[in-house]
Amino acid sequence: MGEPAIAFRGVTYRAQGRVLLGPLDLEVRPWETLVLLGRSGSGKTTALKLINRLLEESEGAVLVNGRPTREWDVITLRRHIGYVIQETGLFPHYSVERNVGLIPRLLGKPEPEIRERVDSMLRLVDLDPQEFRRRYPHQLSGGQRQRVGVARALAGDPEILLMDEPFGALDPLSRAEVQRQFLEVQKRVRKTTVLVTHDVGEALLLANRIALLEGGKLLGIYSLPEFLESSDKTVAAYRAAWSGNLQFPGDDCHGGIP
Amino acid sequence: MVEFLRIHRVEIATLTLEHVWLVAASMGIAVLIGVPAGILLTRKPRLREPVIGGANIIETIPSLALFGFLLPAPWLGARADRIAITALALYALLPIVRNTYVGITGVDPGVREAARGMGLTSRQMLWQVELPLSMSVILAGIRTATVLSIGIATIAAAIGAGGLGEFIFRGLAMVNDSLILAGAIPAAILALAADLGLGWLEARLRPPRT
Ligand SMILES: Nc1ncnc2c1ncn2[C@@H]1O[C@H](COP(=O)(O)OP(=O)(O)O)[C@@H](O)[C@H]1O
Ligand SMILES: [Mg+2]
Repeated sequence: MGEPAIAFRGVTYRAQGRVLLGPLDLEVRPWETLVLLGRSGSGKTTALKLINRLLEESEGAVLVNGRPTREWDVITLRRHIGYVIQETGLFPHYSVERNVGLIPRLLGKPEPEIRERVDSMLRLVDLDPQEFRRRYPHQLSGGQRQRVGVARALAGDPEILLMDEPFGALDPLSRAEVQRQFLEVQKRVRKTTVLVTHDVGEALLLANRIALLEGGKLLGIYSLPEFLESSDKTVAAYRAAWSGNLQFPGDDCHGGIP
Repeated sequence: MVEFLRIHRVEIATLTLEHVWLVAASMGIAVLIGVPAGILLTRKPRLREPVIGGANIIETIPSLALFGFLLPAPWLGARADRIAITALALYALLPIVRNTYVGITGVDPGVREAARGMGLTSRQMLWQVELPLSMSVILAGIRTATVLSIGIATIAAAIGAGGLGEFIFRGLAMVNDSLILAGAIPAAILALAADLGLGWLEARLRPPRT
């Protein structure tokens, strides 16, 4: 299997004396999409932020490319990792082109190269550069903003992509569209991706493996077949909630999976 | 009245210029101190209470008294205009420091988190995110301070620092309404112009909302 891209080794995160996460042992394999699934408050965001050191573990170590994040220069670490959050955090005062070009510009790339990069990133997320380059975030739909957020995160060509409920703020139709579009992106540029969601459907659509969190603890890691067949009560509850959403009462939960 | 304006037009112009100088110089100093101080408060929250508290206390000192307190300050020399400028700058600090602090801490946490997550250094964060996004709030503080200063600057005449207050104090002493108005009306026009001009700038620099 080789060295994991990201590894949590006995990681605990405490705030105000309370354990919010852990102890957590977890490995993310190179190029896989690992989905952190759990109800809100289960510690998903906390786990994600430990990877790019927006938070620092109280105990244990988080390893990126085999090296503890504490030993990385934090700026280098973060520029090595793409980060997409709900509502994207696009800079409202920057045009789409400046938003997407942000990291290449910080990395000191020459202007022509940046322009080319921005255009190719926009095309990657299926936005016409001609039409969108000069727009501002408030002139985009929610789905378009989210795609620009993905383009921005990929523009620095990071090896790792972290996504925190990236599609959570979208209406169901736009969400389905952006999810499909993101699958296309993933086929073309493979990244080690950790995606946080509370949406089982999204997890099943985008994940290679699903890590189930509850109350700051890891309940288990499941491949898709394992997740669909596990007799674990929590997994079964997630499956039930999900198939309930599909509006085919009584339908076997395998039904929706290709 | 028209006759009065004709006779005094040179003096009105001179005193208006003096007035503008007092306000402009004091605002320049207040911005140079207040904006960095406000930024510092966002980095060291512990300083917030004492600094804002101190600025609040200055604000409560009656202006005539503040001008008086500063008279013996040795490093101001004997020049009345320096004393006036110092006093006006002190008054202007509170709105500028406060608005800088409020503006920067009010930046959308999502934008801030994304910026940090992408690896912006804290300096890049300041120049590329925090200052541009809080500029209109900071300007609103500068606007408040400027309008306030234009009014308070009329009192500078009491310590011989000149400005439109000259007319007002002379008019009070001579019980001459025309003289009082010769000071009050240009001061009101200045305040209005500053309010409109800075308000326009503030609206232009307001970031678009997503
Ligand atoms: N800054 C904080 N201080 C204290 N508790 C926090 C803080 N941030 C989050 N929490 C708590 O930590 C737990 C995990 O939060 P989080 O990782 O955001 O969960 P999730 O992303 O799964 O919804 C929750 O119980 C939340 O209330
Ligand atoms: Mg969360």
